[in-house]
Amino acid sequence: MQILFDNLQVLFQGLALGSIYSLVALGFVLIIRATNVVNFAQGDFAMLGAYAMVMFFTGLEWPYWLAFIASLVAMAIFGVIFNYGVYYPLRHRSFLPVIISTLGASIFLQNTVLAIFGPQPRPMDKVLAADGITVGGVFLDSQYLVILAVTMAMVLFTYVFFEHTLLGKKLQATSQDKDMARLLGIPVALMISITFIYSAVLGGLAGVLVGPILFVSIGMGSIIALKAFAATIIGGFGDVTGAIVGGLLLGVIESLAAYHISVPYKDAYAFLALFIFLLIRPSGIFGEKVSEKA
Amino acid sequence: MALLELRGISSHYGNVQALKGVSLHVNEGELVTLLGANGAGKSTTLKTISGLIVPTEGEVLFEGKPIHRAGPEAIARLGISHVPEGRRIFPGLTVRENILLGASNRKGVPRKQLEKEADEKFEIFPEIRRFENALGWTLSGGQQQMLAVARGLMAEPKLLLLDEPSLGLAPLIVQNLFATIRDIRKRGVTILLVEQNANMALSVADRGYVLETGTLTVEGTPKELLGNEQVRAAYLGGHHG
Repeated sequence: MQILFDNLQVLFQGLALGSIYSLVALGFVLIIRATNVVNFAQGDFAMLGAYAMVMFFTGLEWPYWLAFIASLVAMAIFGVIFNYGVYYPLRHRSFLPVIISTLGASIFLQNTVLAIFGPQPRPMDKVLAADGITVGGVFLDSQYLVILAVTMAMVLFTYVFFEHTLLGKKLQATSQDKDMARLLGIPVALMISITFIYSAVLGGLAGVLVGPILFVSIGMGSIIALKAFAATIIGGFGDVTGAIVGGLLLGVIESLAAYHISVPYKDAYAFLALFIFLLIRPSGIFGEKVSEKA
Repeated sequence: MALLELRGISSHYGNVQALKGVSLHVNEGELVTLLGANGAGKSTTLKTISGLIVPTEGEVLFEGKPIHRAGPEAIARLGISHVPEGRRIFPGLTVRENILLGASNRKGVPRKQLEKEADEKFEIFPEIRRFENALGWTLSGGQQQMLAVARGLMAEPKLLLLDEPSLGLAPLIVQNLFATIRDIRKRGVTILLVEQNANMALSVADRGYVLETGTLTVEGTPKELLGNEQVRAAYLGGHHG
């Protein structure tokens, strides 16, 4: 019985961790679909969100919820700046200059934060004061519960937004065929801006939520982004559902393997899983839904 | 005053000149066809009108105002709807969603009204009604063409640009499609129709132009064009229309 509880405990933590990967992976995928470019600064969105929280909550001592909302608003504004500073000037170029531009942005962001906040990792308060609850023999940490709940809410919101609103459909149309979207009068530049805003807020949210678990540090985004990127490939490159499922799967694989095999190799399992997927099913779980243009 | 006027338009793809001083006009309520062989510059002409290509020389006037530097989004909002070559259906959206997005150039129309208009489009194209919730890429070529025209009509265009609507379609479907084009024209929509199928195009047109390697060579009524030996030899395959 204890073995079952232990495994459930690990599964729970894996799902919560996987939720963070899912949120960042979702941000990845939305930008890939809108611009055909992998944003290598996606992980730094999480890092920035977490540091915004540190600034508003620890630094300015704003109430938790106000700081939380302010961090997300700051990330939304940052999404616009990122679009016009990093992507927009290069939008007519091939994907390579844009990717290099996002890499440059990543280095720039990390060093800017380093210059402002210093190299010491910062602790962060949990969303809820309570430690957690015990159900059966499984301890459910309150922060992990919050992460799961927020992720579910965001996934639901994303689904409704993209599948049931005209704006969501316009965003999809823009990602499928920009010239045709223009011919229909869809403001393509605005649609791409909205995508960056949404993606930055998702990343920032992940950072704020994972901060109390991982500590807030300059490098926190890099490792999350690598896992999230692996999640998008495992789920099916460019697939929204795939990003979510891939992230959760990766979190669970990582946690179970760490528990049963060896903790120090925790990060390696995610990449081992990626490696196996690339060998066996390179198109990912959900593959390519949209057929290539003839 | 012509609804649309091109004055001395030259367009380039990089260093390759696709149009050389093209001047033409389309009056309100007219159905004008632009004929020509592959590579003559027909699609380039339409892309220049809808703003996908900025001309290197000349002007495009719509309702008397220059539009050739406005960009495709602004031009769509003026009431020019371009149904491009290859249909360009959004593959990952459903048929109904594709149609709804056709109205993206119109501001502030409630969703309910758009849904109603989409239903009206299914009355014009009953063949695609039963696929309304299917994804765009699953349709056949003929169905995609109907969807593309339906989507183009959602813009409530003053001017509809149709690029090779008959391309790749079975003869019977082409007949249906042209009957629909005739209907659309009767509703008061001005149409500029690009076609390789000259017989079909001239059967519905008021006037026509012939484009050869980027230059307009002949202009006239369908009767005049059908009677022109040069045109007959080049585009009508020798048989009588």
